[in-house]
Amino acid sequence: MDNKLKIKSIFAKLIFLIMIFNLTACVTSRIEDNRIGLTGISDGEGVVILAKSYHLGNDTETDFIKCVSSNVSRGSSPIRVIQTIDFKNTLFPWFEPRTAPSDTNALARLLKRSQVAERISDAKIRYIIWLDGNTDSAGGGGSMSCALGPTGAGCFGFAWWQNDSKYEATVWDIKDSANEGNISAEYSGTSFLPAIVVPVPLFARTQAKACKGLSDQLKVFISG
Amino acid sequence: MNQLGGNILILILLIGCSSQVVITDPSIPDLLIEKSPYNVAIIYPENFNNFIHEEKVIGRKSWTIDFSESNKILFNKVFSSFFSTADVLLSDSEINSSNYKFIIKPNIDVIEFSVPEQSQDETFSVWIRYRIKIYDSTGTELINWPISSYGKTSTSTFADEQDLARAAVLAMRDAAALIILQMEKSKIIEKS
Repeated sequence: MDNKLKIKSIFAKLIFLIMIFNLTACVTSRIEDNRIGLTGISDGEGVVILAKSYHLGNDTETDFIKCVSSNVSRGSSPIRVIQTIDFKNTLFPWFEPRTAPSDTNALARLLKRSQVAERISDAKIRYIIWLDGNTDSAGGGGSMSCALGPTGAGCFGFAWWQNDSKYEATVWDIKDSANEGNISAEYSGTSFLPAIVVPVPLFARTQAKACKGLSDQLKVFISG
Repeated sequence: MNQLGGNILILILLIGCSSQVVITDPSIPDLLIEKSPYNVAIIYPENFNNFIHEEKVIGRKSWTIDFSESNKILFNKVFSSFFSTADVLLSDSEINSSNYKFIIKPNIDVIEFSVPEQSQDETFSVWIRYRIKIYDSTGTELINWPISSYGKTSTSTFADEQDLARAAVLAMRDAAALIILQMEKSKIIEKS
Protein backbone atom coordinates (compact mmCIF):
# COMPACT_ATOMS: atom_id res chain seq x y z
CA MET A 1 0.00 0.00 0.00
CA ASP A 2 2.87 2.33 0.88
CA ASN A 3 4.47 1.62 -2.46
CA LYS A 4 1.23 2.45 -4.30
CA LEU A 5 1.02 5.78 -2.48
CA LYS A 6 4.63 6.55 -3.30
CA ILE A 7 4.06 5.78 -7.00
CA LYS A 8 0.94 7.96 -7.03
CA SER A 9 2.84 10.80 -5.38
CA ILE A 10 5.74 10.54 -7.89
CA PHE A 11 3.25 10.36 -10.77
CA ALA A 12 1.42 13.48 -9.54
CA LYS A 13 4.72 15.38 -9.20
CA LEU A 14 5.73 14.30 -12.69
CA ILE A 15 2.44 15.53 -14.18
CA PHE A 16 2.82 18.81 -12.27
CA LEU A 17 6.36 19.29 -13.68
CA ILE A 18 5.23 18.45 -17.24
CA MET A 19 2.37 20.94 -16.90
CA ILE A 20 4.74 23.65 -15.66
CA PHE A 21 7.22 23.13 -18.48
CA ASN A 22 4.43 23.07 -21.06
CA LEU A 23 3.05 26.43 -19.95
CA THR A 24 3.62 29.06 -22.59
CA ALA A 25 3.32 32.81 -22.59
CA CYS A 26 0.90 34.63 -24.88
CA VAL A 27 1.95 35.30 -28.47
CA THR A 28 0.40 37.83 -30.84
CA SER A 29 0.47 37.01 -34.54
CA ARG A 30 -0.12 38.56 -37.95
CA ILE A 31 0.00 36.71 -41.27
CA GLU A 32 -0.39 38.55 -44.56
CA ASP A 33 -0.83 36.88 -47.90
CA ASN A 34 0.11 38.93 -50.97
CA ARG A 35 -0.84 36.98 -54.07
CA ILE A 36 0.38 38.19 -57.47
CA GLY A 37 -0.35 35.26 -59.79
CA LEU A 38 -2.35 32.06 -59.92
CA THR A 39 -0.91 28.97 -58.26
CA GLY A 40 -1.67 25.26 -58.19
CA ILE A 41 0.27 22.02 -57.96
CA SER A 42 -0.25 18.70 -59.73
CA ASP A 43 0.28 15.20 -58.36
CA GLY A 44 3.97 14.37 -58.24
CA GLU A 45 5.13 17.96 -58.40
CA GLY A 46 7.11 19.32 -55.48
CA VAL A 47 8.63 22.42 -53.92
CA VAL A 48 11.99 23.31 -52.48
CA ILE A 49 12.41 25.66 -49.53
CA LEU A 50 15.58 27.75 -49.42
CA ALA A 51 16.93 30.57 -47.25
CA LYS A 52 17.70 33.84 -48.97
CA SER A 53 21.44 34.40 -49.25
CA TYR A 54 23.45 35.41 -46.21
CA HIS A 55 25.50 37.49 -48.64
CA LEU A 56 22.43 39.76 -48.70
CA GLY A 57 22.40 40.02 -44.90
CA ASN A 58 19.74 37.37 -44.33
CA ASP A 59 20.18 35.00 -41.37
CA THR A 60 17.17 32.71 -41.37
CA GLU A 61 17.88 29.88 -38.96
CA THR A 62 18.58 26.43 -40.45
CA ASP A 63 16.20 24.90 -37.88
CA PHE A 64 13.38 27.17 -39.07
CA ILE A 65 13.82 26.02 -42.68
CA LYS A 66 13.78 22.40 -41.53
CA CYS A 67 10.65 23.09 -39.48
CA VAL A 68 8.77 24.71 -42.41
CA SER A 69 9.91 21.95 -44.81
CA SER A 70 8.70 19.29 -42.37
CA ASN A 71 5.33 20.98 -41.72
CA VAL A 72 4.60 21.61 -45.42
CA SER A 73 5.28 17.95 -46.26
CA ARG A 74 3.07 16.61 -43.45
CA GLY A 75 -0.40 17.01 -41.98
CA SER A 76 -3.48 17.80 -44.03
CA SER A 77 -2.95 18.53 -47.76
CA PRO A 78 0.79 17.73 -47.67
CA ILE A 79 3.05 18.92 -50.50
CA ARG A 80 6.17 17.04 -51.63
CA VAL A 81 9.22 18.93 -50.37
CA ILE A 82 12.66 18.28 -51.84
CA GLN A 83 15.37 18.41 -49.15
CA THR A 84 17.33 21.67 -49.35
CA ILE A 85 20.78 20.06 -49.25
CA ASP A 86 19.86 17.48 -51.92
CA PHE A 87 18.58 20.26 -54.18
CA LYS A 88 21.72 22.38 -53.69
CA ASN A 89 24.05 19.42 -54.25
CA THR A 90 22.22 18.27 -57.37
CA LEU A 91 22.45 21.77 -58.87
CA PHE A 92 25.86 22.71 -57.44
CA PRO A 93 27.12 25.46 -57.70
CA TRP A 94 24.03 27.33 -58.94
CA PHE A 95 22.04 27.64 -55.72
CA GLU A 96 24.88 28.55 -53.35
CA PRO A 97 24.46 31.82 -51.39
CA ARG A 98 26.67 33.63 -53.92
CA THR A 99 25.21 32.21 -57.12
CA ALA A 100 21.51 31.68 -56.35
CA PRO A 101 19.22 33.80 -58.54
CA SER A 102 18.22 37.01 -56.77
CA ASP A 103 15.11 37.63 -58.89
CA THR A 104 12.96 35.84 -61.43
CA ASN A 105 14.91 37.31 -64.37
CA ALA A 106 18.05 35.69 -62.98
CA LEU A 107 16.09 32.43 -62.56
CA ALA A 108 15.03 32.56 -66.21
CA ARG A 109 18.67 33.11 -67.23
CA LEU A 110 19.79 30.18 -65.06
CA LEU A 111 17.15 27.90 -66.57
CA LYS A 112 18.63 28.57 -70.01
CA ARG A 113 21.47 26.29 -68.91
CA SER A 114 20.11 23.04 -70.28
CA GLN A 115 21.69 20.87 -67.55
CA VAL A 116 20.06 22.96 -64.80
CA ALA A 117 16.64 22.95 -66.47
CA GLU A 118 16.92 19.17 -67.03
CA ARG A 119 17.77 18.39 -63.40
CA ILE A 120 14.91 20.56 -62.10
CA SER A 121 12.50 18.99 -64.57
CA ASP A 122 13.65 15.46 -63.63
CA ALA A 123 13.04 16.21 -59.95
CA LYS A 124 9.57 17.61 -60.83
CA ILE A 125 10.16 20.78 -58.82
CA ARG A 126 7.40 23.31 -59.52
CA TYR A 127 8.01 26.05 -56.93
CA ILE A 128 10.99 27.59 -55.16
CA ILE A 129 10.08 29.10 -51.80
CA TRP A 130 12.56 31.65 -50.46
CA LEU A 131 12.54 32.28 -46.72
CA ASP A 132 13.77 35.52 -45.25
CA GLY A 133 13.80 36.80 -41.66
CA ASN A 134 14.70 35.56 -38.21
CA THR A 135 13.81 35.45 -34.52
CA ASP A 136 15.24 38.04 -32.14
CA SER A 137 15.25 38.18 -28.36
CA ALA A 138 15.49 41.68 -26.95
CA GLY A 139 14.28 44.13 -24.36
CA GLY A 140 14.74 41.88 -21.36
CA GLY A 141 14.80 42.85 -17.69
CA GLY A 142 14.58 41.59 -14.11
CA SER A 143 17.05 39.58 -12.07
CA MET A 144 17.39 36.13 -10.65
CA SER A 145 19.85 34.50 -8.30
CA CYS A 146 20.37 30.83 -7.60
CA ALA A 147 22.23 29.19 -4.71
CA LEU A 148 23.46 25.68 -3.98
CA GLY A 149 24.05 24.47 -0.43
CA PRO A 150 24.50 21.21 1.49
CA THR A 151 20.76 21.03 2.17
CA GLY A 152 19.61 21.81 -1.35
CA ALA A 153 19.42 24.38 -4.13
CA GLY A 154 17.00 27.08 -5.17
CA CYS A 155 16.45 30.22 -7.20
CA PHE A 156 14.66 33.46 -6.45
CA GLY A 157 13.77 36.32 -8.77
CA PHE A 158 11.90 37.29 -11.90
CA ALA A 159 13.17 37.81 -15.46
CA TRP A 160 11.51 38.56 -18.77
CA TRP A 161 12.46 39.20 -22.37
CA GLN A 162 10.77 39.96 -25.68
CA ASN A 163 10.76 37.43 -28.56
CA ASP A 164 10.05 38.68 -32.08
CA SER A 165 9.82 36.36 -35.08
CA LYS A 166 9.49 38.01 -38.48
CA TYR A 167 9.61 35.87 -41.60
CA GLU A 168 8.65 36.24 -45.22
CA ALA A 169 8.17 33.47 -47.78
CA THR A 170 8.39 34.37 -51.48
CA VAL A 171 7.00 31.85 -53.97
CA TRP A 172 8.52 31.51 -57.45
CA ASP A 173 6.90 29.35 -60.11
CA ILE A 174 9.67 27.58 -62.05
CA LYS A 175 7.29 26.74 -64.93
CA ASP A 176 7.13 30.37 -66.10
CA SER A 177 9.90 31.93 -63.93
CA ALA A 178 7.35 34.16 -62.22
CA ASN A 179 7.01 35.56 -58.74
CA GLU A 180 3.60 34.37 -57.57
CA GLY A 181 3.54 36.39 -54.36
CA ASN A 182 4.66 36.28 -50.77
CA ILE A 183 3.45 35.53 -47.28
CA SER A 184 4.70 37.47 -44.29
CA ALA A 185 4.41 36.23 -40.72
CA GLU A 186 5.03 38.28 -37.60
CA TYR A 187 4.81 36.70 -34.17
CA SER A 188 5.80 38.43 -30.95
CA GLY A 189 5.49 37.69 -27.27
CA THR A 190 7.12 38.18 -23.89
CA SER A 191 8.74 35.26 -22.10
CA PHE A 192 8.68 35.21 -18.28
CA LEU A 193 10.83 33.31 -15.82
CA PRO A 194 9.53 33.66 -12.25
CA ALA A 195 11.36 31.65 -9.58
CA ILE A 196 10.49 30.94 -5.97
CA VAL A 197 12.88 28.06 -5.22
CA VAL A 198 11.94 26.39 -8.54
CA PRO A 199 12.10 28.50 -11.75
CA VAL A 200 8.87 28.24 -13.77
CA PRO A 201 9.61 29.14 -17.40
CA LEU A 202 6.80 30.68 -19.43
CA PHE A 203 8.36 30.88 -22.88
CA ALA A 204 6.74 32.76 -25.75
CA ARG A 205 7.42 30.19 -28.47
CA THR A 206 7.21 32.68 -31.31
CA GLN A 207 9.48 30.81 -33.73
CA ALA A 208 7.59 27.52 -33.40
CA LYS A 209 4.27 29.31 -33.87
CA ALA A 210 5.62 31.30 -36.85
CA CYS A 211 6.77 28.01 -38.40
CA LYS A 212 3.33 26.45 -37.98
CA GLY A 213 1.45 29.56 -39.18
CA LEU A 214 3.66 30.15 -42.20
CA SER A 215 3.64 26.46 -43.21
CA ASP A 216 -0.16 26.22 -43.06
CA GLN A 217 -0.53 29.41 -45.10
CA LEU A 218 2.04 28.20 -47.65
CA LYS A 219 0.03 25.01 -48.26
CA VAL A 220 -3.10 27.08 -48.93
CA PHE A 221 -1.17 29.54 -51.12
CA ILE A 222 0.45 26.88 -53.30
CA SER A 223 -2.67 24.75 -53.65
CA GLY A 224 -4.33 27.83 -55.20
CA MET B 1 49.07 9.98 -6.99
CA ASN B 2 48.67 13.68 -6.16
CA GLN B 3 50.94 14.57 -9.09
CA LEU B 4 48.83 12.41 -11.38
CA GLY B 5 45.68 14.18 -10.20
CA GLY B 6 47.35 17.54 -10.81
CA ASN B 7 48.36 16.53 -14.32
CA ILE B 8 44.85 15.36 -15.11
CA LEU B 9 43.45 18.66 -13.83
CA ILE B 10 45.92 20.66 -16.00
CA LEU B 11 45.01 18.49 -19.01
CA ILE B 12 41.28 19.09 -18.44
CA LEU B 13 41.90 22.84 -18.15
CA LEU B 14 43.97 22.83 -21.36
CA ILE B 15 41.28 20.89 -23.25
CA GLY B 16 38.69 23.32 -21.91
CA CYS B 17 40.72 26.26 -23.31
CA SER B 18 41.03 25.03 -26.89
CA SER B 19 38.87 23.52 -29.58
CA GLN B 20 39.95 21.63 -32.66
CA VAL B 21 37.96 21.23 -35.84
CA VAL B 22 39.06 18.65 -38.42
CA ILE B 23 37.83 18.80 -42.01
CA THR B 24 38.94 15.67 -43.83
CA ASP B 25 36.56 15.94 -46.79
CA PRO B 26 34.44 18.99 -47.62
CA SER B 27 32.09 16.75 -49.69
CA ILE B 28 32.03 19.06 -52.69
CA PRO B 29 29.38 17.71 -55.10
CA ASP B 30 29.93 17.23 -58.84
CA LEU B 31 29.69 20.57 -60.60
CA LEU B 32 26.89 21.08 -63.11
CA ILE B 33 28.89 22.89 -65.80
CA GLU B 34 29.98 22.57 -69.40
CA LYS B 35 33.53 21.23 -69.68
CA SER B 36 36.30 23.25 -71.30
CA PRO B 37 38.25 21.13 -73.84
CA TYR B 38 41.69 21.80 -72.33
CA ASN B 39 44.06 19.58 -70.35
CA VAL B 40 45.55 21.25 -67.29
CA ALA B 41 48.06 20.46 -64.57
CA ILE B 42 47.65 21.47 -60.92
CA ILE B 43 50.59 22.04 -58.60
CA TYR B 44 49.74 22.39 -54.92
CA PRO B 45 51.95 24.06 -52.32
CA GLU B 46 53.40 21.73 -49.68
CA ASN B 47 51.17 23.08 -46.91
CA PHE B 48 48.06 21.76 -48.73
CA ASN B 49 48.98 18.26 -47.52
CA ASN B 50 48.10 19.18 -43.98
CA PHE B 51 46.87 22.77 -43.71
CA ILE B 52 46.23 23.88 -40.13
CA HIS B 53 44.93 27.29 -39.09
CA GLU B 54 45.15 28.29 -35.42
CA GLU B 55 43.70 31.40 -33.85
CA LYS B 56 43.27 32.55 -30.29
CA VAL B 57 40.15 34.55 -29.56
CA ILE B 58 41.31 37.38 -27.27
CA GLY B 59 40.37 36.60 -23.68
CA ARG B 60 38.78 33.31 -24.74
CA LYS B 61 39.89 29.87 -25.85
CA SER B 62 41.97 29.12 -28.92
CA TRP B 63 40.56 27.43 -32.01
CA THR B 64 42.33 25.19 -34.49
CA ILE B 65 40.93 24.30 -37.91
CA ASP B 66 42.73 21.31 -39.40
CA PHE B 67 41.95 21.37 -43.13
CA SER B 68 43.98 18.19 -43.64
CA GLU B 69 43.93 17.54 -47.43
CA SER B 70 40.48 19.05 -47.94
CA ASN B 71 41.76 22.00 -50.03
CA LYS B 72 43.28 19.53 -52.50
CA ILE B 73 39.96 17.68 -52.66
CA LEU B 74 38.17 20.99 -53.34
CA PHE B 75 40.44 22.10 -56.18
CA ASN B 76 40.68 18.63 -57.73
CA LYS B 77 36.88 18.55 -57.90
CA VAL B 78 36.57 22.08 -59.32
CA PHE B 79 39.27 21.82 -61.99
CA SER B 80 38.49 18.25 -63.04
CA SER B 81 34.84 19.33 -63.48
CA PHE B 82 35.77 22.40 -65.54
CA PHE B 83 38.60 21.08 -67.71
CA SER B 84 38.79 17.99 -69.87
CA THR B 85 41.57 16.56 -67.68
CA ALA B 86 43.29 17.89 -64.57
CA ASP B 87 46.50 16.12 -63.49
CA VAL B 88 48.09 16.78 -60.13
CA LEU B 89 51.87 17.26 -60.38
CA LEU B 90 54.34 17.50 -57.54
CA SER B 91 56.55 20.24 -59.00
CA ASP B 92 57.34 22.35 -62.08
CA SER B 93 59.98 19.83 -63.13
CA GLU B 94 57.27 17.28 -63.94
CA ILE B 95 55.59 19.56 -66.49
CA ASN B 96 55.68 18.38 -70.05
CA SER B 97 54.69 21.60 -71.82
CA SER B 98 53.13 19.84 -74.80
CA ASN B 99 50.65 18.00 -72.57
CA TYR B 100 49.03 20.92 -70.80
CA LYS B 101 47.32 24.10 -71.96
CA PHE B 102 47.42 25.65 -68.49
CA ILE B 103 49.33 25.11 -65.26
CA ILE B 104 47.25 26.03 -62.20
CA LYS B 105 48.79 26.90 -58.82
CA PRO B 106 46.27 27.48 -56.02
CA ASN B 107 47.30 28.86 -52.64
CA ILE B 108 45.79 30.25 -49.46
CA ASP B 109 46.46 33.94 -48.72
CA VAL B 110 44.58 34.26 -45.46
CA ILE B 111 41.98 32.59 -43.27
CA GLU B 112 39.88 34.36 -40.65
CA PHE B 113 36.90 33.33 -38.61
CA SER B 114 34.59 34.68 -35.96
CA VAL B 115 32.80 32.85 -33.18
CA PRO B 116 29.62 34.02 -31.36
CA GLU B 117 31.62 35.59 -28.50
CA GLN B 118 33.26 37.93 -31.02
CA SER B 119 30.39 38.62 -33.40
CA GLN B 120 27.84 39.10 -30.57
CA ASP B 121 25.31 37.05 -32.48
CA GLU B 122 24.50 33.37 -32.76
CA THR B 123 26.67 32.67 -35.79
CA PHE B 124 30.02 31.23 -36.83
CA SER B 125 31.67 32.83 -39.88
CA VAL B 126 34.73 31.77 -41.88
CA TRP B 127 36.53 33.84 -44.51
CA ILE B 128 39.12 32.19 -46.77
CA ARG B 129 41.06 34.13 -49.38
CA TYR B 130 42.52 31.72 -51.91
CA ARG B 131 44.81 32.82 -54.71
CA ILE B 132 44.64 31.10 -58.08
CA LYS B 133 47.53 31.61 -60.46
CA ILE B 134 47.24 30.21 -63.97
CA TYR B 135 50.25 29.93 -66.27
CA ASP B 136 50.54 28.97 -69.91
CA SER B 137 52.70 26.03 -70.99
CA THR B 138 55.79 28.27 -71.26
CA GLY B 139 55.46 29.41 -67.66
CA THR B 140 54.08 32.91 -68.34
CA GLU B 141 51.57 34.06 -65.73
CA LEU B 142 48.17 34.62 -67.36
CA ILE B 143 45.86 34.95 -64.39
CA ASN B 144 46.28 35.96 -60.75
CA TRP B 145 42.90 35.88 -59.00
CA PRO B 146 42.19 36.46 -55.32
CA ILE B 147 39.16 34.33 -54.43
CA SER B 148 37.52 35.70 -51.27
CA SER B 149 35.02 33.18 -50.00
CA TYR B 150 32.68 33.32 -47.02
CA GLY B 151 30.69 30.78 -45.03
CA LYS B 152 28.27 31.39 -42.18
CA THR B 153 26.24 29.07 -39.94
CA SER B 154 23.89 29.62 -37.04
CA THR B 155 24.79 27.99 -33.74
CA SER B 156 23.25 24.78 -32.48
CA THR B 157 23.25 23.43 -28.94
CA PHE B 158 26.55 21.92 -27.69
CA ALA B 159 27.98 21.71 -31.22
CA ASP B 160 30.41 24.62 -31.58
CA GLU B 161 33.05 22.53 -33.35
CA GLN B 162 30.58 21.14 -35.89
CA ASP B 163 29.13 24.63 -36.49
CA LEU B 164 32.57 26.10 -37.21
CA ALA B 165 33.40 23.14 -39.48
CA ARG B 166 30.14 23.68 -41.39
CA ALA B 167 30.98 27.38 -41.82
CA ALA B 168 34.43 26.43 -43.18
CA VAL B 169 32.90 23.92 -45.62
CA LEU B 170 30.39 26.57 -46.76
CA ALA B 171 33.32 28.94 -47.39
CA MET B 172 34.98 26.22 -49.50
CA ARG B 173 31.76 25.67 -51.48
CA ASP B 174 31.56 29.44 -51.94
CA ALA B 175 35.13 29.42 -53.29
CA ALA B 176 34.19 26.68 -55.77
CA ALA B 177 31.21 28.75 -56.97
CA LEU B 178 33.31 31.89 -57.30
CA ILE B 179 36.11 30.13 -59.22
CA ILE B 180 33.58 28.73 -61.70
CA LEU B 181 32.00 32.17 -62.19
CA GLN B 182 35.44 33.71 -62.76
CA MET B 183 36.56 31.00 -65.19
CA GLU B 184 33.32 31.17 -67.20
CA LYS B 185 33.76 34.95 -67.54
CA SER B 186 37.50 34.81 -68.31
CA LYS B 187 38.41 35.87 -71.82
CA ILE B 188 41.87 34.32 -71.39
CA ILE B 189 40.56 30.80 -70.79
CA GLU B 190 37.84 31.19 -73.41
CA LYS B 191 40.14 32.56 -76.16
CA SER B 192 43.06 30.24 -75.60
